[in-house]
Amino acid sequence: MPEVRIIAKNFMDMVASMPAMKLDKLYENAFICEAILRSLPPLAKKYVLQLLHIDGPVSAKLLAEWVLPDGLSKHKVAIDRLVQLRVFVEALDRKNEKTYKVNSTYQRSLQNLLVHGGTLPRESMPSNITVRLLTLEELETYALTQWERFLLQLISPSQVDKNLNISSSLMKVFQRRLLSQRDREAPKLTESGFQFLLMDTNAQLWYIIREYISNSEERGVDAGDLISFMLELSFHVIGEAYNTDTLTDFQRNIIKDLADLGLVKLQQGRKESWFIPTKLATNLSVSMTESSSRKEGFVVVETNFRVYAYSTSKLHCEILRLFSRVEYQLPNLIVGAITKESLYNAFENGITADQIVSFFRQNAHPRVAQRIPAVPENVTDQIRLWESDLNRVEMTDAYYYDEFPSRDVFEGACDCAREWNGLLWEDSKKMHLVVKSEVHPYVRDFLRRQK
Amino acid sequence: MGHGEKGGRPFKKFKGAAKFEDSRKTFAEDDDPYGGDHDAYEDDEGKIKDFSQLELKPDHVNRPLWACDNGRIFLETFSPLYKQAYDFLIAIAEPVCRPESMHEYNLTPHSLYAAVSVGLETETIIAVLNKLSKTKLPKEMIKFIHESTANYGKVKLVLKKNRYFVESPFPEVLKTLLRDDGISRARITSEGAHGDGFTISKALGEIEGTHDELLNQAEVAAAAEEKEAHAFEIDPAQVENVKQRCLPNALNYPMLEEYDFRNDTVNPDLDMELKPQAQPRPYQEKSLSKMFGNGRARSGIIVLPCGAGKSLVGVSAACRIKKSCLCLATNAVSVDQWAFQFKLWSTIRDEHICRFTSDSKERFRGNAGVVVTTYNMVAFGGKRSEESEKIIEEIRNREWGLLLMDEVHVVPAHMFRKVISITKSHCKLGLTATLVREDERITDLNFLIGPKLYEANWLDLVKGGFIANVQCAEVWCPMTKEFFAEYLKKENSKKRQALYVMNPNKFRACEFLINYHERARGDKIIVFADNLFALTEYAMKLRKPMIYGATSHVERTKILQAFKTSKDVNTVFLSKVGDNSIDIPEANVIIQISSHAGSRRQEAQRLGRILRAKGKLQDRMAGGKEEYNAFFYSLVSTDTQEMYYSTKRQQFLIDQGYSFKVITSLPPSDEGSRLHYHHLDDQLALLGKVLNAGDDAVGLEQLEEDADEIALKSARRSQGSMSAMSGAKGMVYMEYSTGRNKGQQIKSKPKDPAKRHFLFKKRFGPT
Repeated sequence: MPEVRIIAKNFMDMVASMPAMKLDKLYENAFICEAILRSLPPLAKKYVLQLLHIDGPVSAKLLAEWVLPDGLSKHKVAIDRLVQLRVFVEALDRKNEKTYKVNSTYQRSLQNLLVHGGTLPRESMPSNITVRLLTLEELETYALTQWERFLLQLISPSQVDKNLNISSSLMKVFQRRLLSQRDREAPKLTESGFQFLLMDTNAQLWYIIREYISNSEERGVDAGDLISFMLELSFHVIGEAYNTDTLTDFQRNIIKDLADLGLVKLQQGRKESWFIPTKLATNLSVSMTESSSRKEGFVVVETNFRVYAYSTSKLHCEILRLFSRVEYQLPNLIVGAITKESLYNAFENGITADQIVSFFRQNAHPRVAQRIPAVPENVTDQIRLWESDLNRVEMTDAYYYDEFPSRDVFEGACDCAREWNGLLWEDSKKMHLVVKSEVHPYVRDFLRRQK
Repeated sequence: MGHGEKGGRPFKKFKGAAKFEDSRKTFAEDDDPYGGDHDAYEDDEGKIKDFSQLELKPDHVNRPLWACDNGRIFLETFSPLYKQAYDFLIAIAEPVCRPESMHEYNLTPHSLYAAVSVGLETETIIAVLNKLSKTKLPKEMIKFIHESTANYGKVKLVLKKNRYFVESPFPEVLKTLLRDDGISRARITSEGAHGDGFTISKALGEIEGTHDELLNQAEVAAAAEEKEAHAFEIDPAQVENVKQRCLPNALNYPMLEEYDFRNDTVNPDLDMELKPQAQPRPYQEKSLSKMFGNGRARSGIIVLPCGAGKSLVGVSAACRIKKSCLCLATNAVSVDQWAFQFKLWSTIRDEHICRFTSDSKERFRGNAGVVVTTYNMVAFGGKRSEESEKIIEEIRNREWGLLLMDEVHVVPAHMFRKVISITKSHCKLGLTATLVREDERITDLNFLIGPKLYEANWLDLVKGGFIANVQCAEVWCPMTKEFFAEYLKKENSKKRQALYVMNPNKFRACEFLINYHERARGDKIIVFADNLFALTEYAMKLRKPMIYGATSHVERTKILQAFKTSKDVNTVFLSKVGDNSIDIPEANVIIQISSHAGSRRQEAQRLGRILRAKGKLQDRMAGGKEEYNAFFYSLVSTDTQEMYYSTKRQQFLIDQGYSFKVITSLPPSDEGSRLHYHHLDDQLALLGKVLNAGDDAVGLEQLEEDADEIALKSARRSQGSMSAMSGAKGMVYMEYSTGRNKGQQIKSKPKDPAKRHFLFKKRFGPT
């Protein structure tokens, strides 16, 4: 899904856009270095590892020689990224040639990590204190339900029975670009809101986390601290309990929000309290290519445009309603139909045919997922055709001329427009002419010259 | 309306049942393909029906269906219990749509009536449904089943020695019936009756074990026991009226018709057996078992797709009953085919089977036999020749063991009434491929013939390799600029159809497809066009033979013979006449260039022309060599009415699990110059031709068999010509001046030869 990458990139862009000082400070943390490494394009990863134990600068030319000519564009992308993230530091040597050197803080941290292994600032708690912990499945279910509750509250607050602890101001921050709130009107999903809902969980998570971080300064929280804590969190072991006392006050505040998002589960023992990271938390640092979490699909699309979704979730129902007509809701099944009207509605709201089709594909029920294609061809074709139906009218900015003084002038103007490849329409009887707006200056000049 | 409404639950199909009163009053209308949309999905638009509160059973994963309290049932086809569940549901509910993974059904009073009539009892229905359901059955549904079935199966209509009796094990039910004026008037009181005047006899109880596998021993309650049957006689002329009074919207004691043929000693037996090579397929066997479930023959309708072997089912039924059989077909061609099928599958001797059409007035020898004829021959109201009068008299007087009716969906209810009132039969079997009519008059069949006994699932038959696996495609042909400009003009409103059919892009797409299938694949192609003008233009331009209403029987046979045998004739153009009467098993490609508006039935019928499976069975089976072995193209001009109609037309097939692939770029650009109408001049010449043709010339072809009401009312026109009525002679396929909406005028259609269609003028010679 292309959206995933855009947002993931943006997240690391955010890291990259931090001031050099802060970035260097972040790189003191080995886990962040590892997370950064994971997020890099493959070629960049290779460069980092290759130069990790070289202390001096390496000339750019030498680096460029490592790749075959057709890999040059990839090479450029990799280098740019590394420089952007300040993993590579650019300099000029005596001959005034460009050189690269691995950022010394980053280098030290990563070397340490490789040699000594990473040590978390806290140990997991012994099982005699925590008694019975959740199984991994239970934890995953918990994380997903929590996430779903959050999403539902995000898009339609009225649907939620029990509100989350997230402060309403923070919720507003999340909703900022997803919902449009006009006075006295119920909030409506915006175009990006629709797209957000169609993304897979990880991509959604990235988006929310990004909003959470970029807003942190307003809340008086240091973005660097926040990033480093979250990346660190992602290296904790799923399902293990960690004592809350090991956290700083700042972190303790944050962990409450993260619990609401389903990243951790908070539990209270007799004396101690602890948090348990879920899969959502650990996914934060997994590189995007590997992270698209494979949930079991639940949607069956039939050749007659009926949609059957094996789901009890209100959220799924809300999502399906974005582009189909939901007709029945059974205890564990949602029945809907894709109609021209429902799709036009979706297109109007900025959802694209591709998004809908890929939603069906990604969430295909295992029964139909092995089928090729998982979504009947006639349905996907029709969705696309309906979309292209809406795009049959093309708008071109243009200028309209009439009242030509003579036929010669009219024909001259036509020729002039034709010459510039900008003649859209002419009526030689009535002497009317329409030209593309970018050609307008030339035609105008031509007409002036005629006077 | 019915009690379904009283309960506050809008049962969709039920409204149809109640509608039947209205439809009786409005006979005169034609089958209305433009009419209101009776689509089952359109109910309660936009409202979500929330049944999420239904309680899931803990082992719901292993159970195949959900049941909602408005009668809707969803069935997972990948459940291990699918086969059993399907057989059960098809017996108790109406299928709404049956694509690959999930089926939808509706419980309706009619479907439950059908269930009861094949011997399922109320408690069995509820118990099995509960077994299969993932949730606890909604109370409303249980109540509804109770209400709908409480009265069903209690009253039977029995024909004994040419007299009709209403029979029931419950005398109080008979008394209830007699309280109705219509029924008590119809009653014939016999002498020497005692007490309440009912005759009493012994009758066999139901023995039904079809769904045993889903029930444990204790639940198989339906035991065979002897019951006393009370009965009173009714006037044969009133039979239909009485049946109608008993329907759910009136007294609500729908009557079952059963024939205890084994114990019928009055009517002589007919010596016929199925030949050993006639091996009914599993679904044919199943449909027969529904009909003969309790050792008697039940009246009803069996629905099988075209090409799935309906005739074998008909012949097998006749062979089991072994009494005289009257077989009704829609026209002379199918009469020949039926007679052939009887001889092919059964051991009937030639002198025991005869055809009764305008051309062949045969009579069978001996005291029992099979007569194959057309609906028109029997229902004809005018004066007959002496010879056919005699035959009709014989048909009237005979007590038929089986009345076998082909293509019941095309014949109007009125015609059935007539046929059924004229002939006396113990058992009626209707056969059809598509139980849809745009006017929803299908519900009439429920009381005229009987409930639907069996309906096969198209996709299952495709998977089993019993019918061809058809690739359906809708080809979008953009209108050329010039044609579209004319199309939009108000003054051309009557020529619209001609304009979008004659659209050069459509012609070119058609030409391309013909070339492709003839040359690249060696296929046999049928091209359908309802519009006669287009049919002739296309056929002439492409130099292909064509058959339409006015083509004589001889010429038709000749063309079809050439199509079947010659390597040079691979394409034939057909007008509406080809929709169901002409059997062309060789064809495997259909190109439809124009059609009868939004008629779902026509679409399915046309598809049926190529459903007969060809080639080796193992190649056709799922995973076999051939993925698709038949092709159905529907050519539509974009941005015209056709687009709307084509969506509507496809609905039935889509509900059966077919999917239409949209093709937007035909012909491919590199083929362009090799096809006709490549140059604008040619296109403009064609446009001129269309615009200059008279308005009548570009209209629809109207066939009598489609407009039977009209045909019957205007029967005097063809007085004295039996051949016309049987469809044997070309004359029967008259061309009406304009579209169907002018139905009223057709009745008074003048015989003035000058007003004949130009195509007919030639045939009738200079006037």
